[in-house]
Amino acid sequence: MLEIKDLKASTGDTPILNGVSLSVKAGEVHAIMGPNGSGKSTLAQVIAGHDDYAVTGGSVEYKGRDLLELEPEERARDGIFLGFQYPVEIPGVNNAYLLKAALNAKRKHHGLDEIDAFEFLKLAKEKMVLLGMDPKFLNRGVNEGFSGGEKKRNEILQMAMLEPDLAILDETDSGLDIDALKAVAHGINSLRSPDRAIVLVTHYQRLLDYVEPDVVHVLSAGRILRSGDKSLALELEEKGYDWVKEAANA
Amino acid sequence: MSVLALPDKALRTAVRELPENALAANRQAALARFLERGFPTTRLEDWKYTDLTSIADISQRWLESGAPTATAASVSGRVEEIRAVVGIDWIVIGNGAIVDGTHIAGSEGLSIATFSELKHAPGYEHPLADLNAALLPDGLHIHVHAHSHHDRPLGLLFVDGADSQPGVTQTRVFIELDEGSQAQFVEYHASIGEADHYANSVVELSLAKGASADYVRIQARDGGHTQTHRTAISLQASSTIRYSGFDLGGRLVRNDLDIDIGGKEATVLVGGLYIAGDGQHIDNHVRIDHRVGPARSEQEFRGILGGRCRCVWNGKAIVQPGADGTDAEQSNHNLLLSERAEIDAKPELEIYADEVKCSHGTTVGQIDDAALFYLRSRGLDKQDAMRALTRAFGASIVSHSPIAAVADHLTEIVERRLTALTEDSDA
Ligand SMILES: Nc1ncnc2c1ncn2[C@@H]1O[C@H](COP(=O)(O)OP(=O)(O)O)[C@@H](O)[C@H]1O
Ligand SMILES: [Mg+2]
Repeated sequence: MLEIKDLKASTGDTPILNGVSLSVKAGEVHAIMGPNGSGKSTLAQVIAGHDDYAVTGGSVEYKGRDLLELEPEERARDGIFLGFQYPVEIPGVNNAYLLKAALNAKRKHHGLDEIDAFEFLKLAKEKMVLLGMDPKFLNRGVNEGFSGGEKKRNEILQMAMLEPDLAILDETDSGLDIDALKAVAHGINSLRSPDRAIVLVTHYQRLLDYVEPDVVHVLSAGRILRSGDKSLALELEEKGYDWVKEAANA
Repeated sequence: MSVLALPDKALRTAVRELPENALAANRQAALARFLERGFPTTRLEDWKYTDLTSIADISQRWLESGAPTATAASVSGRVEEIRAVVGIDWIVIGNGAIVDGTHIAGSEGLSIATFSELKHAPGYEHPLADLNAALLPDGLHIHVHAHSHHDRPLGLLFVDGADSQPGVTQTRVFIELDEGSQAQFVEYHASIGEADHYANSVVELSLAKGASADYVRIQARDGGHTQTHRTAISLQASSTIRYSGFDLGGRLVRNDLDIDIGGKEATVLVGGLYIAGDGQHIDNHVRIDHRVGPARSEQEFRGILGGRCRCVWNGKAIVQPGADGTDAEQSNHNLLLSERAEIDAKPELEIYADEVKCSHGTTVGQIDDAALFYLRSRGLDKQDAMRALTRAFGASIVSHSPIAAVADHLTEIVERRLTALTEDSDA
């Protein structure tokens, strides 16, 4: 589904990704771990199409097509979803509007009619119940005045509505209490299917107790230093990242 | 040339050829004052950013072509369009002539008459008000009787047409709200036609003790047309005005809103939204004079600017000696969609009393790139995302507009402008 080869990206003159290769197949869950500042969010943003970052080398293929030539909205409509580490507050644009516009953009791309207002509300409320969200959040500005945990749940709500083929969740588990974490994990697990792939960017083993990854990668200084199965995450938790760095340098 | 004058002789002739009525003597007096001063020029502080040269030029060409009056028929299409979408009672003033609607005068608690019938001589000295008084065929006088309450908004449709020759029109309305009365007004400025046009209007509102008015002004002139518009509102004790102004069209537009607070416990709430695209110049000058306290005034103007355009906002609050207990707030926020858009924003406070609460804030910003990317990452195309963000920026003004009957139409024409603007901004 996603083939990243020797990807290099920079912002201004500063290189951030220094040759990342990653292959994610349908049905898989990958976890990307790594110290702060190692380039995890940058990788996620480059996949989503943020133009703050210039790709200076390598390639990204998604469903067999060159992803890098698509606009961010085209990527989204074709099934890529990025759960932001820092979801943006957009006062005055309400949540329901965004969900509906996003859903309809995707439906249009697939040659479907717009969802009708009743169906939409039913669907949104259903998903909100699943995530333990109050339906009144629909009428609030996007993330406006939401707590950290509410913002993360809202990201998962959008994901649940859009049912992406490839979801990249950037530290969606950070700052969540245990109930919120369970709700988010539940949201992610209900998306799991043989046709979909999920990439979790995380610092903690905690989320991985609920959403079991097939592959775990360690990203450091813009490179993947090591990949392994879920036991790698446990090892990291125990020994820290320095251990991986030392092993890589040796 | 140091003054922006109009040719004496042609102007005198134009005034002389107006319909003979009770306003004749007043026209001559106003004409004399205008001839002495001419149009305001950019050397005046208040007119620094708004150059009326092109308006003087249109007026001159209009005079040279014999000061023709377009017929009311030429605007009837536009009138029907507006009637079809806003279902309120309209008084239509087409090309400066009162065309239709005075029958509403039959309503209980409301009298409508012309200035000439009432021998009401328009006062208010200002060069543009003088030009208006000099060339005014007739004015409209609306009288809301004491303690009468009107739930149905009354519409004032100023519609001008200039098809083949340059046009100039003068419109004037005086609204008198007697003690304890309540009424709602929609003032709509529209124009059509390919030729140049200059509309100069004056609206005066006088609110007696305890009166209350909701007022929405919508300016949706055709792209090539120009206007200068002056609104003077005076408030007595415990009276309230809720006023929203929307500038969505026109090439060169200058609005002056002068509010005089002459009674305790008066409340003034003003909202304004201007949306300007390529080639437009929109200037809003607001002056609120707190002569008496306690009283409260609040104004919030927002601007959305795209293409090569210029907008001006000048909000002045004056708190006169002894007007203690004044609470005056003013704010102006602008969203620039293009690097060629220019805004001159200036809040001014002149405070001569002690116990006052005054504040002002002005901001100029661009589309939030993070928000734009966030929306696009959800599948919205760039233009839809831009439109959502610009719509959100103006939403507080649109949603606080005090008259429900025009809310849908307003939303629609704002949306149309935003669509045009966000299309342009890609170029
Ligand atoms: N837009 C940006 N401008 C400048 N520096 C950036 C930008 N985005 C990321 N960086 C820098 O790139 C490095 C990697 O950041 P990031 O991808 O956010 O790391 P992580 O998500 O792994 O913590 C950091 O040093 C960060 O400061
Ligand atoms: Mg990060």
